[in-house]
Amino acid sequence: MTRGRFLFVLGCIAGLVGIAEALRSPDVPAAVVAASMLATTLRFATPLTLGALAGLFCERSGVANIAIEGMMLAAAFGAFIVGALTKSLAAGIVAGMVVGALMALLHAWLSVTLRVDQIVSGTVINIMAAGVTGFLSTEVVRRQAISGAGLLPAWRVPGLSEVPVIGPLFQQQPIAWVTLALVVVAHLVLFRTAWGLRVRAVGELPRAAHAAGVSVARTRYAAVMVGGAIAGIGGGYFTLEAVPVFEPMMTNGRGFIALAALIFGGWTPAGAWVASLLFAAANALHINAQQFGIPVPAQVVGMFPYVLTIVILAGAIGRVTPPAAIGQPYVRD
Amino acid sequence: MKSRRELIMALGAIPVLAACGGEAAPPAKAEPTKAPAAAAPAAPAPTTAPAPTTAPAPTAVPAKVFKVGLVTDVGKVDDKSFNESAWNGAKAGAAAIKGESKYVETQNPNDYKKNIQQFISEKYDIIVTVGFLLGEATIEAAKANPTIKFIGVDQFQGAVVENLAGLIFEEDKAGFMVGALAALFSKSGKVGAVLATDVVPPVWRFGEGFRAGAKYAKATTDIQIVYHSTVGPEKTFSDPEWGKATALSMIDKGVDVVFGAGGNTGNGALYGVADRKDKGVVAIGVDTDQWNTVPEAKAVLLSSGMKIIDLGVSDIIKAASEGKFKGGNITGKVGLAPFHDLDSKVDAAIKTKLEDIRKQLDAGTLKTEVKPAKG
Repeated sequence: MTRGRFLFVLGCIAGLVGIAEALRSPDVPAAVVAASMLATTLRFATPLTLGALAGLFCERSGVANIAIEGMMLAAAFGAFIVGALTKSLAAGIVAGMVVGALMALLHAWLSVTLRVDQIVSGTVINIMAAGVTGFLSTEVVRRQAISGAGLLPAWRVPGLSEVPVIGPLFQQQPIAWVTLALVVVAHLVLFRTAWGLRVRAVGELPRAAHAAGVSVARTRYAAVMVGGAIAGIGGGYFTLEAVPVFEPMMTNGRGFIALAALIFGGWTPAGAWVASLLFAAANALHINAQQFGIPVPAQVVGMFPYVLTIVILAGAIGRVTPPAAIGQPYVRD
Repeated sequence: MKSRRELIMALGAIPVLAACGGEAAPPAKAEPTKAPAAAAPAAPAPTTAPAPTTAPAPTAVPAKVFKVGLVTDVGKVDDKSFNESAWNGAKAGAAAIKGESKYVETQNPNDYKKNIQQFISEKYDIIVTVGFLLGEATIEAAKANPTIKFIGVDQFQGAVVENLAGLIFEEDKAGFMVGALAALFSKSGKVGAVLATDVVPPVWRFGEGFRAGAKYAKATTDIQIVYHSTVGPEKTFSDPEWGKATALSMIDKGVDVVFGAGGNTGNGALYGVADRKDKGVVAIGVDTDQWNTVPEAKAVLLSSGMKIIDLGVSDIIKAASEGKFKGGNITGKVGLAPFHDLDSKVDAAIKTKLEDIRKQLDAGTLKTEVKPAKG
């Protein structure tokens, strides 16, 4: 993502906060509104960012991933059930990552080894995740009256978390902090390590990577599964960080918005992150505007991520280029 | 080509996997259901029982077992809210008449008809459909199957269909009482409501009733009402993360009483309040007494704006078994749940005032002035 577009997106987010400021009731201080908008934005952006990073590793290696939603949903369930049974939140997180990685393994097997159309493979995973988690939560969780292990406690930044008004921004739960760190880590891994170079190579020109001695299949398997594990953390966000329960379909389409954020961000970690923030800020504005008694048409806010993504794909605000080999199974000859 | 075959295999897997979708649950074991203790003088029982001229078929087998089927709205029978309450009513009603009961959970709004049809083809005697959105499908099914009795929870009946009873509630009254409680209890003078989409009229009436009640009890109250209307009806009730984030956003701005209404989305608001327990904020639940259903929020739950759905459903089932079923609208009861853990924090003056409001609402001397639906 170019620096210009990066700044443009940050400007948009500032604009949305500005709109919230303009709409606020006079008795609410401006700083409170800004801090609250940012807190809500960060909250909503966490699962979107994780979903987008999951898609990033997968797609950068040349495997299209529309299964982020299904991976997050399955992982949300896995994290919940293991957390509930072991009464250990840490075990829950690990379980979420394992489930995410296993779903990704299925995706890799279907699309790399069997060379199934990657969109079909993703669709299979989404449908399977919805079906299996719905079935298990009905038949197991409800029947056995299993209750969750509670929520991850907030991590506070000493000093800053005590400051009035902006304090809450510095007392986020672990997955929110991990997400911020992962944006940086993902950038370093993809663009500063040999493995990252191989991932990008098999996603751009697998034949050349192969000629240089890189195993296309093995690299794609690894990248897809790393993505799956990140989606697994995203799943854990829903059942271990947001609410202490699992509800069928609780990811509520966020995996698809994450995909939009990935594309909008030009398949880069920082781009995906600011795109997630932008989409999250739109939702935060919708909530804030209603709090101040201003009806913002809900449909406009609901469409926002998709419309912006279409605009950007059409090349209206600079161009984005997908990985060249995306969607194409690699066949040696 | 190899990949073609694999693709077909993968596609073939879809329906199989989808069938795992937890759609129909096996018949509920006939749990010994405690009849709701507070069996208040029952919902308006049909006073004029239609003469049972045609009802009992001449060949009626004496030991016929009444079968009650329930179709949920999108959402689950354990949603700790209206689906669950209706299902409890169906179970209780069936148990009271020594019948059996079974449910189907709807995964997708396109399946309403299909799910109702499942019970019709299995020759159920009474079919309960839960939720406003099933209204049209229920009317259609009732007209096509005049021998089966239908109960539509939250379904207002414009024209009377003889074999279809719409169990409706005055959500605006329940919302009004909740709003009054919130305004009277709030120390900061700021109260909020976190609701599912406003295109579903009962949700809208809860929200606007809340607004009217808070304003009536204390005119200076700052009232923040947020609907989750950026997503469609298939998603609006199952988004607890959104509900929690919205409640926290309100608490950030000084709101100290949050009302959450709308399935799991509303429950999310209760979790959000529980998260800020140390700030002295409280939550109000909806539909059922959520002190029993959301244990995580017990310590902060002030009350719940209840629609007494289970009693309403079981009463209609009992009436039907006695041949006293009546089509058209039947108004169920609404009320405030007990204050439980927070009882000592509620001043006697507030309790007196709420009782006064309830009486006036019942008597019709106080009106909520809420329209039936938005727009």
